[in-house]
Amino acid sequence: MKTVIVYKWARNAEDAAVRSDGSVDWRNAKMTAGEDDFAALEAAKAIAGDDDLVGLTIGDGDASWALARGVLQAVSVTDAPHLTDNASTAAIIAAAVRQIEGVDVVVIGDSEEYAGVPVALAGLLGWPAVAHVGSAAVSDGRVRIIRKQGRNEQTISIAAPVVIAVSAASPEKNIPGMKEQLAARKRPITKLTLAAVGAGCDDRLSSTATKLPETTAARVFAGDPAAAAAQLVAALRGEGVL
Amino acid sequence: MSHAWIIVTEEKQVAALTLAARGMGGRVIAVVVGPRALADATAAAGPDEVKWVETSQDRPPEAYAGPVARMIAADAPRAVVANATAEGRVLAGMVAARLGAAVIPGGLKLSASGDKTVVERADLDGKVIETVETTGPVVTFYAGDDAANEGSSCASIEQVAADDAADIKVERVEPAAGADAGINKAAVVVSVGRGLKRKDDLEIVRGLADVLGAEIGCSMPVADDLGWVEKERYVGRSGQHIAPRLYIAVGIQGAPQHMEGVRGAKVVVGINNDPDAAIFKSADYGIVGDLYEVVPALRAALGE
Ligand SMILES: Cc1cc2nc3c(=O)[nH]c(=O)nc-3n(C[C@H](O)[C@H](O)[C@H](O)COP(=O)(O)OP(=O)(O)OC[C@H]3O[C@@H](n4cnc5c(N)ncnc54)[C@H](O)[C@@H]3O)c2cc1C
Ligand SMILES: Nc1ncnc2c1ncn2[C@@H]1O[C@H](COP(=O)(O)O)[C@@H](O)[C@H]1O
Repeated sequence: MKTVIVYKWARNAEDAAVRSDGSVDWRNAKMTAGEDDFAALEAAKAIAGDDDLVGLTIGDGDASWALARGVLQAVSVTDAPHLTDNASTAAIIAAAVRQIEGVDVVVIGDSEEYAGVPVALAGLLGWPAVAHVGSAAVSDGRVRIIRKQGRNEQTISIAAPVVIAVSAASPEKNIPGMKEQLAARKRPITKLTLAAVGAGCDDRLSSTATKLPETTAARVFAGDPAAAAAQLVAALRGEGVL
Repeated sequence: MSHAWIIVTEEKQVAALTLAARGMGGRVIAVVVGPRALADATAAAGPDEVKWVETSQDRPPEAYAGPVARMIAADAPRAVVANATAEGRVLAGMVAARLGAAVIPGGLKLSASGDKTVVERADLDGKVIETVETTGPVVTFYAGDDAANEGSSCASIEQVAADDAADIKVERVEPAAGADAGINKAAVVVSVGRGLKRKDDLEIVRGLADVLGAEIGCSMPVADDLGWVEKERYVGRSGQHIAPRLYIAVGIQGAPQHMEGVRGAKVVVGINNDPDAAIFKSADYGIVGDLYEVVPALRAALGE
């Protein structure tokens, strides 16, 4: 099935520091692919089989991420800005998907941070979707996915066209080496603009403030281990959990 | 004042979704996609009205995204709140597209102020709370705490026909690997991370678990990369989700992916030699120190 793998290349939210006044410091944040994207790519390869697999990314990041992982062609909407509204981000991706002819399946990382992007994308395309997918394959002309749901594992089958949002179970293990990176540079990236795909870039949300959550910090005991242990045991007895 | 909808596909957090939607100041209408029992439970959890879409045996809630979206869009609410589950999000995504709504993950609190809708949302794994506003409709995935049922009245339930479900079929459901692992039922879990230097040192942690009558758990790398503990015992996003009375994390950094597995725990304790370890931000109690000293000391203190 002709498959599009959507990936992102963005600031790593894990590197963002929150200052004591609740403002966010992104200065030490490194650029990274989405945490779930490599797992999404694996699923996309399984679904595409011998048919076309096209990489799609938005923003000014490194579009070669997918090319270094065996994808032969990629499309990038380079002037897409960062938007708070996940539906606006999805609208840009949807517009780009429409530029690619004959797509059966869109596979995308089911990122916690942008949990609205895959589902709004499906909504905008008017396609059915399943999220939190672990792995995928194609048989009898249908996409079959496996996902965990609570303590169960479900096998679900869906007719194309469909959006599949994949969650990674672990960090990426086989990171491409120099050879793959070099090969990636020779592969074609079609650079598009918002205007060319017919997408807008307004964020419907305005961010008016950020603040620290009202969590009470842990009661931390330090110093002599025996004394700290005794204090902890007393506290846990007080909580009634021992 | 404006009414709002909630999308319900499971019994969890229905009262909390209702409460969040009440923030808009008006009536709350629930659309329930699932069996009759779920509609009944929802009706008792606080919304003013319940619309029930019955799912057939082999169809997941996602198959009904189209009809649900059409129903909600016809009513043009300013806010829709769903759980952040796979099912809840897919339904909400279709609704958002139909409504032309902004989509906001991490929703904690909603309010209407004049023609503006204001949403507080958790961002950066809950490290910060952002306030966003818009004049258009919003769809948000709820990320706040659970709440108790509002009042005791029961909303009326109206069944809504949905004969144009999408072609999605549940072909098989079986217990996931490790679903019956003891750690899932344990009242106390002592969990170990990469702070442990050698496999043999697990004995130290077992000693503590023994006096507590606890099961052993671990972080993902301890099971996955090191293979020191069985895979079915690792806790977190992709591992076990557990809800013990007491969870003691020994030499575990407290990565968000790990902590996701213990959201249901009553009391979380972190033992770590790094005073800046993330675990001290999400735990209830902590001891800063070398686990090789602290764990035996804790065992001794418990024996007294
Ligand atoms: C998609 C994805 C899914 C993931 N899912 C999971 C998951 O389900 N579960 C999970 O656990 N992880 C998961 N991870 C990995 C997670 O991000 C962390 O890398 C992992 O939890 C770290 O394990 P750790 O805390 O044991 O190790 P480390 O990060 O190495 O931390 C070890 C800690 O031990 C402390 N320490 C060292 N020596 C001592 C000592 N002598 N005494 C006391 N403390 C000491 C250190 O200060 C440090 O804080 C996932 C990652 C990804 C990308
Ligand atoms: N699933 C996704 N696929 C592609 N791009 C995305 C996805 N989710 C978010 N984005 C974009 O990735 C970028 C993230 O920006 P930031 O994390 O702020 O540096 C923005 O341009 C987002 O709109």
